[in-house]
Amino acid sequence: MRGSRLSAEQERELVVAAEAGDEAACRQLVESFLPAIGGIARRFNTGGQVQRSELMQEGIAGLLFATRRYDPRMETPFWSYASFWVRKAMQELVAELTRPATLSDHAVRGLARVKAAQRAHAQAHGVEPTTAQLAAVTGFTRVQLDSLLAIDRTPRSFEEPLGADEGTTATFGDMVADPRAEKEYEHVLDTMEIQAVRGHAEQLDERERTVLWRHYGLGQRPQTLSEIGAGLGLTAERVRQINKGALEKLRKTVAQPAGGGGAGI
Amino acid sequence: MTSAAALRHSAFVYENDDEYVARSVAFLKEGLDAGESGIVANTRDALAMMRDALGPDADRVSFVDVSATYTRPARAVAAYHGTFLEHLRRAPSVRAVADFQVGPTSGEWQEWVAYEAITNLAYAHLPVWVVCTYDANGLPDPVLESVGRTHCEVLGDGLRERDDFEDPRALVRKLTPEPEPLLELRSFSAGEDLEAFRHLLARELMAEKVPAGKALDMLVAGTEIAANAVRHGAGIEEVRVGRVAGRFVCEVVDRGGGFDDPVAGYLAPREGTGTGLWVARQLTWRIEPFDSPRGFAVRIWL
Repeated sequence: MRGSRLSAEQERELVVAAEAGDEAACRQLVESFLPAIGGIARRFNTGGQVQRSELMQEGIAGLLFATRRYDPRMETPFWSYASFWVRKAMQELVAELTRPATLSDHAVRGLARVKAAQRAHAQAHGVEPTTAQLAAVTGFTRVQLDSLLAIDRTPRSFEEPLGADEGTTATFGDMVADPRAEKEYEHVLDTMEIQAVRGHAEQLDERERTVLWRHYGLGQRPQTLSEIGAGLGLTAERVRQINKGALEKLRKTVAQPAGGGGAGI
Repeated sequence: MTSAAALRHSAFVYENDDEYVARSVAFLKEGLDAGESGIVANTRDALAMMRDALGPDADRVSFVDVSATYTRPARAVAAYHGTFLEHLRRAPSVRAVADFQVGPTSGEWQEWVAYEAITNLAYAHLPVWVVCTYDANGLPDPVLESVGRTHCEVLGDGLRERDDFEDPRALVRKLTPEPEPLLELRSFSAGEDLEAFRHLLARELMAEKVPAGKALDMLVAGTEIAANAVRHGAGIEEVRVGRVAGRFVCEVVDRGGGFDDPVAGYLAPREGTGTGLWVARQLTWRIEPFDSPRGFAVRIWL
């Protein structure tokens, strides 16, 4: 079972590149499989409680999760493997959003805080805040925000009329674009934050990354310590120390657990 | 019944959401009432159910989205280890309920059953009681049949010891495929020291167009393996690299006798243990130690 027009080898290369953090490969992989993801999304009948774009975004998250687990040496074609995770991600979203929830006092207070932050941001900037911006302001993690916002969701019926004007026949359902349309796919892709796997290099400061990248020729011509030093206004010896320190910093970060944040909490 | 001074690793199989929630909440609340800390690991919808069911106690529990954690076994071990340590800073012991997640292929089932076996050893030194939960209707039969092999206690009407529990190292060895010879790899000189090795490896990584961030991961992991080869393996005999099934592979062969521990690099760092293989496993897709015709080899898949 294929899921894209790519050859098996092209798929495999894209999957490995996407898992390695290549953003362009990530985007190309997602674009290639959007129609297949849309095919799975169409099978979910949620009575309007879950929007098609939400299912698509969740499906894309499932696809990207699959890239982090898929072993190209398996004889299973990528889509046969990934479609499992795409479907699972959508099922989990539907289960989460259509389950009746009882709000605890804690959740009520949390939701009030989130909505206040949303209003403040919209007033200040004229646009709705992203999840990352909400997290920064409220102190909630993304997981907590997703749960709180999901509780607040009001389902819209596809038959709900759009306007109160006499003679209006358009319904909300008319506004939901056909996911087979290219434009709908592009919109989902553009609004989605494809979280690139940045690797542990994010633990380094900019100068440390610059020294390592230049010293080992990562994505550029390798430079000597003196050349790097000349570019940064440092002695070659200082550059050598920074290089050594950065490698040791990376090693220590991985050797010693961060605690808490490492488990996706 | 409070957690013992070291790891307890139990399991239960559930037939439906209500059973999962009822048993998980009872287990966690018993611990919370005794002053322990709590963790729930599951998918987002199940976490939402548990939050509701725990009520005010939810404030004292951490909720882990498994979609962020269960990418590679070594990274799942590290993620849980970090979370346990965080909790142990504020409570004397921890109770965790973690739902078993697995994909659709038999190769993956074996790998994650091996992960369950590794769990018995990875945090054996920590006062943590982990209960792994298995969905009877959502998991394949071979996985459900493995529950007793990887958990010495299964929660049923009471706590029952299993007589099919297998020694973790023996089970991991059984479930880990033998590395295949990779004839397509090409040799290069390791250089005079670790710095020279890194430069040479970096050149190979760039020739294979590996993204810079990922290349750095391989440089650090490769350094750990090369350092082990020099320190414990009587020196590097050969280094081979190349792309296999799309992945960059580096193989370091040394002149020493090697080691024969199938869980090497999976045990969470603790006093008196080395961290080289642990670091290498975190940064890469897979590490394969094995005896090769030219010496003891450690193969790194990026």
